Amino acid sequence: MAIATAPTHRFDEPVLLPISRGQALWTVIKRKPLGMVSAALILLVVLTAIFANVLAPYDPLSAQPEIRLAPPSWAHPFGTDDIGRDVLSRVIYGSRISLWVGLLAVGIGTCVGMVVGLVSGYWEGRLDLVLQRLMDAMMTIPGLILALAIVSVLTPSTTNAMLAIALVIIPGNSRVVRGAVLSAKQNRFVEAAQAIGCKDFRIIATHILPNVTAPILILASIWLGNAILIEASLSFLGVGTQPPTPSWGLMLSSTGRAFMEQAPWLAIFPGLAISLAVFGFNLFGDTLRDAWDPNLRRQG
Amino acid sequence: MPTDPRPVPRRSHVSRRDFLKRTGWGAVGTIPLIAGVSRRRASAQPASPYPDWMPPSPKPPKRGKLITRASAWDPPVLDPRLTNSVGLSQFASLTSNRLVRYPFSDEAASTTDLTLKGDLAESWQGSPDFRVWTFKLRKGVKWQNVAPLNGRELVAADIKYCYEQYAKEGVQAFTFQEIEGMETPDKYTVRIHLKTPNTMFPQNLAEPVSIIFAREVLEEDGDLKKRMIGTGPYTIKEHTRKVRLVLARNPDYFDQGRPYVDEYHILSTPDAATRLAAFRSGQSDILFVASVGDAAIVKKTTPAAVIQEYKTVQTVFGLALAQDKPPYSDVRVRRAISMAIDRQKQVDTLYGGHGILGWGIPYFYFQDKMPTAAQLGPYWQYKPAEAKKLLAEAGHPNGFETTLFYYEYFPEMSSQVQLVQQDLKRNLNIEIKISKLDYTTFYGRYADGKWDGMAWGFKTGYATGLDEQTYQYMHSKSTKNYWRFSDPVIDELVTKLRQTPDRAEQRVLTKKVLDREHDQVTRMWMPYDAGFLVWQPYLRNTGSLALRRNDGYGASTLARLWIDK
Amino acid sequence: MYKYIARRVALSLPVLVLSSLIVFGLMRVMPGDALTALMGESGNVSPKELQKLRKDLGLDLPYYKQYLIWAWQMVSLNPGDSIFTNEPIAVALKKSIPVTLELAVLALILGLVIAIPIGVLSATRQDTSSDYAGRVAAITGLSMPDFWLGTLVITFAAIWFRWIPPLGYASLWDNPWTNLQQFLLPAAVLGFRLSAATMRMTRSTLLEVLREDYVRTAWAKGLGERIIIYKHALKNAMIPVITLVGGQFGTLLAGTVIVETIFALPGMGRLTVEAILFRDYPIVQTNVMLVAVTLVTLNLLVDLTYAWLDPRIRYQ
Repeated sequence: MAIATAPTHRFDEPVLLPISRGQALWTVIKRKPLGMVSAALILLVVLTAIFANVLAPYDPLSAQPEIRLAPPSWAHPFGTDDIGRDVLSRVIYGSRISLWVGLLAVGIGTCVGMVVGLVSGYWEGRLDLVLQRLMDAMMTIPGLILALAIVSVLTPSTTNAMLAIALVIIPGNSRVVRGAVLSAKQNRFVEAAQAIGCKDFRIIATHILPNVTAPILILASIWLGNAILIEASLSFLGVGTQPPTPSWGLMLSSTGRAFMEQAPWLAIFPGLAISLAVFGFNLFGDTLRDAWDPNLRRQG
Repeated sequence: MPTDPRPVPRRSHVSRRDFLKRTGWGAVGTIPLIAGVSRRRASAQPASPYPDWMPPSPKPPKRGKLITRASAWDPPVLDPRLTNSVGLSQFASLTSNRLVRYPFSDEAASTTDLTLKGDLAESWQGSPDFRVWTFKLRKGVKWQNVAPLNGRELVAADIKYCYEQYAKEGVQAFTFQEIEGMETPDKYTVRIHLKTPNTMFPQNLAEPVSIIFAREVLEEDGDLKKRMIGTGPYTIKEHTRKVRLVLARNPDYFDQGRPYVDEYHILSTPDAATRLAAFRSGQSDILFVASVGDAAIVKKTTPAAVIQEYKTVQTVFGLALAQDKPPYSDVRVRRAISMAIDRQKQVDTLYGGHGILGWGIPYFYFQDKMPTAAQLGPYWQYKPAEAKKLLAEAGHPNGFETTLFYYEYFPEMSSQVQLVQQDLKRNLNIEIKISKLDYTTFYGRYADGKWDGMAWGFKTGYATGLDEQTYQYMHSKSTKNYWRFSDPVIDELVTKLRQTPDRAEQRVLTKKVLDREHDQVTRMWMPYDAGFLVWQPYLRNTGSLALRRNDGYGASTLARLWIDK
Repeated sequence: MYKYIARRVALSLPVLVLSSLIVFGLMRVMPGDALTALMGESGNVSPKELQKLRKDLGLDLPYYKQYLIWAWQMVSLNPGDSIFTNEPIAVALKKSIPVTLELAVLALILGLVIAIPIGVLSATRQDTSSDYAGRVAAITGLSMPDFWLGTLVITFAAIWFRWIPPLGYASLWDNPWTNLQQFLLPAAVLGFRLSAATMRMTRSTLLEVLREDYVRTAWAKGLGERIIIYKHALKNAMIPVITLVGGQFGTLLAGTVIVETIFALPGMGRLTVEAILFRDYPIVQTNVMLVAVTLVTLNLLVDLTYAWLDPRIRYQ
């Protein structure tokens, strides 16, 4: 996912705008209904994950095979799965797994990518050349294949799936950060600060980072959605989360597909959960972009 | 040559009924053919809505047309020395023959009819001490008319060559290494000398993996990976890896007039949903489904489809433990685990009542009816309290942690593994961490025999014969003993078994082997359902017999299939 | 201009070398041997035979030697044999590349043909109901796992229409009609996600461009909407879109893995995944390098198109 803009020379522009980031975001959310929907969805996922043990009516791992494949009812609003576990409880706890997978993968990927991009963009030179070639090399391997190979190396588990996805995220992130750093560096404030003799670290923290956080968060939001999808694909290929973990991806790709016609609820609810979560994250990324993209912000 | 006093399968002289009676297999031959009669016991497999026996069609067969099947298996290699894979057998059984074979569906008296019939051999005879077996070949059997064989006649030297190659290297070596020497006194006679007596040696030659391949191919190519030329009813017309395999009727096949169908296309279709869709849309003629529920779904959307219950006579999967080291080397631990697992519940719930509790030798080798729960021994019963006591006695009052790896052969297996995990946690406080692996990693690790903890293990699925099921799989020295046990009592029993000619005595001994296995819990068999076969309504003579699924290892029976359209 | 091209090409070479090192390293670090895969469903192979096999396949050489041998094979366009089947990889590639290529290209065409008009519509009618409808449809496309969409499509085609794409791949030259039937559905499934991403990108970049001063001038001059969009705005908006498509091509190729498995197409994606699971090193390494070379070339072309579209870039 490369966001490229043709590099142009901008004349002096104040980095700080009359309203803060948070305020800009809130304004956009209020004004655009899709923004509100996305924020609500994300809130729903996060709250479900945090309060899973309060919300879930049953233990997600407790199997009662006598009532397996039961259609939705009052006792089990989402039905029961192939060994009689409550699907609603599993979907609720699944939000924890998906969020955990997403946050860890995106967290690590973003942080490492940010560091690489910062180092590359700020100091440039030979280090930049080498790092960027390395990042390019990683990007020539399609994400799913790279993730599959890494998980095969590390043996399948949720944690290893996260690490694999993190590695897939790093190169793209580093490129975006590097681009943002490069354009921030052209700012006169940075030149001035360097002329005065400010420490690099201070310059980065004060002038560069604020310009970098916006694109990072936008990308992170979208990658959160992608991470959930990649985990589902890895489970489909047989190397993702391990049973009996209630991950949405595992539920959809294994029991959901196997019992698709006998018990469609096994696929519908996890599938819906994945779609809504990814939908929410992607839309939120859009909203963030609408709120924070300096080009569009000029419209107020 | 002294006449052999004991009854021996000599096709030319003994009628089938006489033979069955004389050798004690009469009971098998007279098993009622009506579904449900033999299944009144509480824990024996209740009847499903589908018959387990498809009688052959009374109409005269029609020649021509083609059948297709969307297949899950792409053959890894074409070389029968290097693999037992069903991916190869699904068509190798049609391109090639064996010396002897089991009945086809239109000649079998029942689904468990295992009367040996001649394939390339016309007749055979064992010496009184069962160490020398003489086979007389059919005359005029031609190799397929493909270079470099070019339709030459099959001779005894071809058989000798094959068996020597099998003994030299590969997966069949253990079976064929018991051959001390072979002679071909004339073009149509093969005499085989064994190192030790084996009354069931011909049955080993009837296994689907013991096909006769062409010497010229092996000598020219250096291996059998590129070409497969045999004497069978079909030739390979086209083989595109991962796409399709096209088999064409062999006009020179020795069984005159057969096969009936002109072409058999096997389409590589790795995804189960796609195979089902192919059947529904008419692109596939044969489909396998694993459960009653799946069969019902197919019937709903394709009411004309014909469904047969593939009779379950044994289980192929069970809980394998690294029993060559602690804690599983202690028989008390194994017994405790076995008693802590509720097998009946798995049968009742996962298999809709339609599975078996789990035993490792086809039941008809030791008795007529399916074993009841009581017959499987005290350690096969669900007794969680006793199990807990026994485990404490063995030194693990608080349980322990372990791992379990498996490959999901079918969805119900994942359900079973997780139920076992729950049972063991609740009843014995044994914590199992599950690893669901891809096929290659699973197979490699399992077959390697160095893993720790637990695995959802198997015995290979092709074996039909009793010797294969007992000696070849259970002897401590066998390379096919994946369960890592070494029990001198079993070694003694299975060796004695293969030296016992009397069928009634064989049954007694086989039951003893089973009892010993269940007493020592060497292989902890788990519930299983062999599944169902679904066919398009215009196929005839389709039936699958026990242990010989005709879309897989039992593919040779498709030579008798015909299309009524 | 030529200096620019030369520089970009020179920078691509180390990238390819690094890619090869990465994929080689990954393969060697994987637990489980290619040889255990060879055992298939067979019994044990004796340690002596394993040793011989390992030697025959060159797996007992030190890693750097294995790498150099393989690197030479790549450069001399002679990829060697598969460990598993003993067949030359070149043969397998010759059969599988056209499948994946056709699938990817069709998916790309279908995706773009749907996406760009909808993107334009969304942008020009920003914040109206058609914009919302377009955006919702796009994000739905991005939110559904590929394998789920594929499974739904093939299952319900069989149930409702009693028809699924004919199994048993027929090449475009041999049997164009069958081939088209086989590829339409999988290409649509694959292209669905690409079209979603492209639609959103088209919309957002077009929105940006429409606010530029020169567009304002064109409006002021009284030019018609269609001329403004298609003659002036779209060309500049296409730059990021082309980058996106170039970037998405990698994702597209990854997506073929799943679509080829479900629709039973013998393409490179399926070949690669099965090779990874079978630890068939030569195939995985060769395939991934092939993809890497393709993507690097594609990126190069994208950059060159960039430079052609936006003269400012050339003179950096």
